[in-house]
Amino acid sequence: MDNVPEAAPAQPQPERSAIFFNGESSRRRPVTVTFSYALELRESLNSTVRWQYADVRRADSPAGILRLSCLSAPALARLEIRDAALAAEVIAHCPRLDQNLPGKSGSAATIVAWSLAAAASIIAMVWFGAPLAADRLTPLVPQSFERRLGDVADGQIKVMFGNKVCNEGAGQAAFTKLVDKLRDAAGLDPSIRSAVLATVIPNAFALPGGRVYLFDGLLAKAQNPDEIAGVLAHEFGHLRHRDGTRNLIYNGGSSFLIGLLFGDVTGSGAMIFASRSLVTASYSREAEQGADDFSIEVMHKLGRPTKPMGELLFRVTGKQGDNGLSILTGHPLTEDRLQHMTEADRPASGPPLLTADEWTALKAICAAAGGSEKGGGDGNSGGKPSEDGSGKI
Amino acid sequence: MNQMMMVPPQPAPPPPLPLAFSGDRGEFRRLVTRGAALELVTVGFYRFWLATDIRRHLWSNTVIDGDAAEYTGRARELLIGFLIAMAIIVPIYLAYFIAGLEAERFKAFASTPLVLFFYVFGQFAIYRARRYRLTRTVWRGVRFWMSGSGWAYAGWSMLWGLGTVLTLGLLLPWREAALERYKMRHSYYGDLQGSFEGRGWEFFKRGWWLWLLAPFSFYLFPAAPFVYAAYKAVEWRWWLSGIRFGGVRLESTMRRSALIGLYWKVIGWFLLFALAIGAYLVGCAALVASMHGIAMAMLFKTPALLHSIPLIVLAGIGYLATVLGLNVVMRVYLLRDLWARVVASTTVHGIEAAANVSARGELANALGEGFADGLDVAGF
Repeated sequence: MDNVPEAAPAQPQPERSAIFFNGESSRRRPVTVTFSYALELRESLNSTVRWQYADVRRADSPAGILRLSCLSAPALARLEIRDAALAAEVIAHCPRLDQNLPGKSGSAATIVAWSLAAAASIIAMVWFGAPLAADRLTPLVPQSFERRLGDVADGQIKVMFGNKVCNEGAGQAAFTKLVDKLRDAAGLDPSIRSAVLATVIPNAFALPGGRVYLFDGLLAKAQNPDEIAGVLAHEFGHLRHRDGTRNLIYNGGSSFLIGLLFGDVTGSGAMIFASRSLVTASYSREAEQGADDFSIEVMHKLGRPTKPMGELLFRVTGKQGDNGLSILTGHPLTEDRLQHMTEADRPASGPPLLTADEWTALKAICAAAGGSEKGGGDGNSGGKPSEDGSGKI
Repeated sequence: MNQMMMVPPQPAPPPPLPLAFSGDRGEFRRLVTRGAALELVTVGFYRFWLATDIRRHLWSNTVIDGDAAEYTGRARELLIGFLIAMAIIVPIYLAYFIAGLEAERFKAFASTPLVLFFYVFGQFAIYRARRYRLTRTVWRGVRFWMSGSGWAYAGWSMLWGLGTVLTLGLLLPWREAALERYKMRHSYYGDLQGSFEGRGWEFFKRGWWLWLLAPFSFYLFPAAPFVYAAYKAVEWRWWLSGIRFGGVRLESTMRRSALIGLYWKVIGWFLLFALAIGAYLVGCAALVASMHGIAMAMLFKTPALLHSIPLIVLAGIGYLATVLGLNVVMRVYLLRDLWARVVASTTVHGIEAAANVSARGELANALGEGFADGLDVAGF
């Protein structure tokens, strides 16, 4: 190794040759490399390029080739050295060779630190920013826009459930009576529309813009008008709190942020899904709690007991504590809701909401339409309704 | 092929040059393993750096006529492109949402055609991303570059796409040929203009039987990888053999069966990972069960166990490890090995036409890459 510099000065240094591309043409130029005050690349006697040692940088190359660029030369000018000894000599002469090279040690740590900071900021936005934005923006959304949202969801729901609205005469009269009483007590304006849908799924939900749907399946499981009244009051609570619009803003915002966070790591779909369900479920639980409280308030105003609604829910879902992670459910656990409603329960002080005859008629509201129109064909209603609407009980 | 005997006075053309790929497989594997791990740690932000490192490795080990190419793009450019693209995409998404709402109000599910807009936008992004990559590709100190309009390309692509859908895919070869012609006509190496001479008809002749087989292969699991691998091989060969830059001509001799092994290796790894994660989950469940004091037989009858926090955490760790492993496998086989096979099958004719090309062309920004990333149409 040491004998190379000793032998070199005497000879014309034939081995110090390299290939030069001047960045202006693709011509391969064989050059002789000399080390003077700068790196001298001599192509012929009157054509020499000088690169300052401090400006020389390493460029990407395959193994076994040292490829160099120079800050003060054209950006794409390249010197390619295939001779290992010459390469070692050049490396020894150029002090800042690896300064601009991407992927230096420590750069990964910087990227990790910045990414974690970005992730923390996004998580903070999902956790604090999105609920705040939903709360502040919801009052700014005009009712007319909310009604349009409701119309859109309504169209899709009608398609999903086959547009089977029940309006059998006496049953419809009883339903209207019940809804009117509750609506007045809830302090909502008469523009609210509500209907019973012929579906075996035991559920009810509210759409933004003032629509409440009660499924016949829930009616079938109910044993007295107070149970149904509590549920309807709960849905009115969602309308009163404008939970549909709030959820839309919140879900839209948080899904977008979470999507941004995970980008396109292959297989991140599950992570996005998991964190989204976790976050939206916790938000939805709060909204459900609020609607339950509203329902209790309305029932108190009407002088009716609140416990029956809890009992109806319990009849539908059973005890939930054993199955399902409680942090993943969009509703508080049924047993907790039952307990909450039992605690708030007061003995009846007002008149019954429906007479016995009216109750019987309401229970049979889907008998006529459903019986003739669809017979036993409740085919589409095996599963759960999709999670797109808002404010299901 | 080269019937040059009519002109004896001219010197014989130099023999075609093979392309070569000199990349070390172990080095690439380490690169993508580290990259996949960092991608997980940085919740995906590392993707810009990983994509850049992968390209740098592939480009700088691809040797044409004794000189290796070089990729001069930097991750920071991709990151900035992504951030700017986000700032543009977000309002578009909002507008899309509101337009969709209006359409839905008119009729349920009427907003579906709006997806078309994103298709066109995605095609635009693909064109602009290609332009970015091409302007970062350097060989012999001269860069490739690209002109043309991303929107014009997107419009053509949509029209041809419509035709392809209407003819159940029969028009696909002609679509590919037309779009490649547009892209290559606007591609340059220095002052050497590119062109594409592949004909849709040739592609069709080589691949029509795959088109017939495709519907059946959906139902017959072992057939699908064969059909897809053969299709990709035919496509690569046809595409490479059509590429021209001035007098430089590429030719590919890739056999139809050349890629089948790769796809099966990936499937094999997937199965292996599935087995491993299955065994790992059973092990975790047994561990958690023993902690709760439940017998193995009762394991899957107790729903509470399946929702216990420790088990979910253990399963999450297993999931992340699997994701990491699959990412490495896919990149090693479907990027690196595929690249190596494609390069090995390719020869260059008339390279002397590129011996003294003048540098031209401007650098393009990485906005297209950002859009492609944001719209999930990114290549590599």
